[in-house]
Amino acid sequence: MKIIELEHLSKHFKVLERREGLKGIVKDLFKPRHKIVKAVNGISMDINQGEIVGFVGPNGAGKSTTIKMLSGVLKPTSGNLLINNYLPYKQRKDYVKNIGVVIGNRTMLWWDLAVIESFKLLKEIYQISDEVYKENLELYNKFFNLNALYSTPVRKLSLGQKMLCEIAASFLHNPKLIFLDEPTIGLDVAVKEKVRKLIISLNKIKKTTIILTTHDIGDIEELCQRIILIDHGKLIYDGSIRKFNQIFGAYRTLTLELGNIDEISIENINKEIDEVFKPKEPIILKKKENIWLTLTINQDDIKLMDIFNFLMKKFPVKDIKIEEIELERVIKEVYEGGLK
Amino acid sequence: MLRNLIFYLKLYFKITGQYIKARMQYRTDFLISIIGIIFTNIIGILFLWVLSLSIPSIGKWKIDHLMFLYGFSLLAVTPLQLFFDHIWMLRYRLQEGEFIKYYLKPLNSMFYYISEVFDLKGLGQLGFSIGILIYSSIKIGFEWTFLIVIIFILLLFSASLIMISLMIIAASTAFWITNSYSVLAFVFNFKDFSKYPLSIFNTIFRYFFTFVIPIGFVAFYPTTLLVFPEDINATIILSPFIGIALFILAYSIWKKGMNNWSGTGT
Repeated sequence: MKIIELEHLSKHFKVLERREGLKGIVKDLFKPRHKIVKAVNGISMDINQGEIVGFVGPNGAGKSTTIKMLSGVLKPTSGNLLINNYLPYKQRKDYVKNIGVVIGNRTMLWWDLAVIESFKLLKEIYQISDEVYKENLELYNKFFNLNALYSTPVRKLSLGQKMLCEIAASFLHNPKLIFLDEPTIGLDVAVKEKVRKLIISLNKIKKTTIILTTHDIGDIEELCQRIILIDHGKLIYDGSIRKFNQIFGAYRTLTLELGNIDEISIENINKEIDEVFKPKEPIILKKKENIWLTLTINQDDIKLMDIFNFLMKKFPVKDIKIEEIELERVIKEVYEGGLK
Repeated sequence: MLRNLIFYLKLYFKITGQYIKARMQYRTDFLISIIGIIFTNIIGILFLWVLSLSIPSIGKWKIDHLMFLYGFSLLAVTPLQLFFDHIWMLRYRLQEGEFIKYYLKPLNSMFYYISEVFDLKGLGQLGFSIGILIYSSIKIGFEWTFLIVIIFILLLFSASLIMISLMIIAASTAFWITNSYSVLAFVFNFKDFSKYPLSIFNTIFRYFFTFVIPIGFVAFYPTTLLVFPEDINATIILSPFIGIALFILAYSIWKKGMNNWSGTGT
């Protein structure tokens, strides 16, 4: 069952184009020159009930603007938008009864109030029945021990505790749809894991549709079945996380500290690797600050350990780092046809 | 309609109750701010008294009448102080992008916004202004009949609504110009003019404070009706209508501002 239907959704902003210098300031005052910024430019998609969709894109890609239109804050410039049979912008008050929103670096709760008091106010605001309210609190308690935090004022919670409470609060009125805007921003690995577990369990239990924006590939891999990539206001990929993972999940960047590598020639190493491993696609090798050597490897192609052992024998390796591929590189790949 | 009203009233009491409980953690802050607001007004009254030593009366207005006017004006701006103090923060909420949350609850946005702050020091102002009114009405020999009380409440309601509406309009400019402080401070300072009889101003200002920025309806016209009923003209009947019309205007400007605001990028 479809819950979100978007058709050619666009949002254009009129922005004052400032001129330089003192003369420019005076000119801007009397004869402002505007330019149109197409923040979102013709996005279409359907989202089904119960899906967790990852909304990904670099900064300024139009993610926030899209989310603001979906949550009824902004009015689209053009296009059709129907969510849960509401026009979010026009029927804001009725529409938001059935959604929940969490924004990573802001609080939706009452800053000075204890968590449980915030929950009680939400019960009044959403007119949540006693049964549903009790049921949800028991659920939070059973799985996440949230009641240890209930008497603490929101402002005294740690970032991670706050995020758990924010997410719990957003599910309190059993909404059909939840927007999570960077829920793991600024959290350490252990807490990230907890937040992800909370999100995924609530999604399973309540069949809530979740739209998640994030810069963390880890969030996407663990939570989403589907991802939507946006850049320059346009949709550049919409599909299953499996296909995405097949292509990008296997990439790792291996960084080795080799001491002084002035004399080492990248071409020579490349040639040797080619001879020994015969990779299907060329391995990208780079020198960094003359002590670091980085390689981007597709693990489906070559085993990371094999390359590592090979290099260990050749060079005195002092330190290693293994990283997942960066979002920016993923997008570059998409443009170059990586997902076609 | 009525169910809505009950829903919002109940919610307001709950939110405010919690808010006061939370604020009481900072008891010293509460006491100092109450003492501060009372002290400011004692100085205001002292100024009137010093003034009366060299100018015993302005027309018919003697020190006791001026004190009544002062008390009425203070009482009229008290609802603004108590319930609408969050208005001053609007520009920060907008600049920092925090304002987005007021779109995301199934509540009237203005209600949700103003319900978040209840200014406790306004209670000091409330007590002080009632005290001044009682004292000055005894000195004048003013008689509080039932009819007078009804008229007084009606006038006070209109006066408060005018002041609240003017401030909402001033604060809402932040939706367009981002920093509305100068506009807010400019409008807020008008309340000081309402503490003096309009008759001390020349004709241009009197028209200005009656028809352009209707600050005369905040205290001068209502007080005249109460203490010198023979001097008042029919304009005073307009008072509640001006209040309601201004509030409707203020609310629609707020709504327009909300539709115009596009937020900060996150």
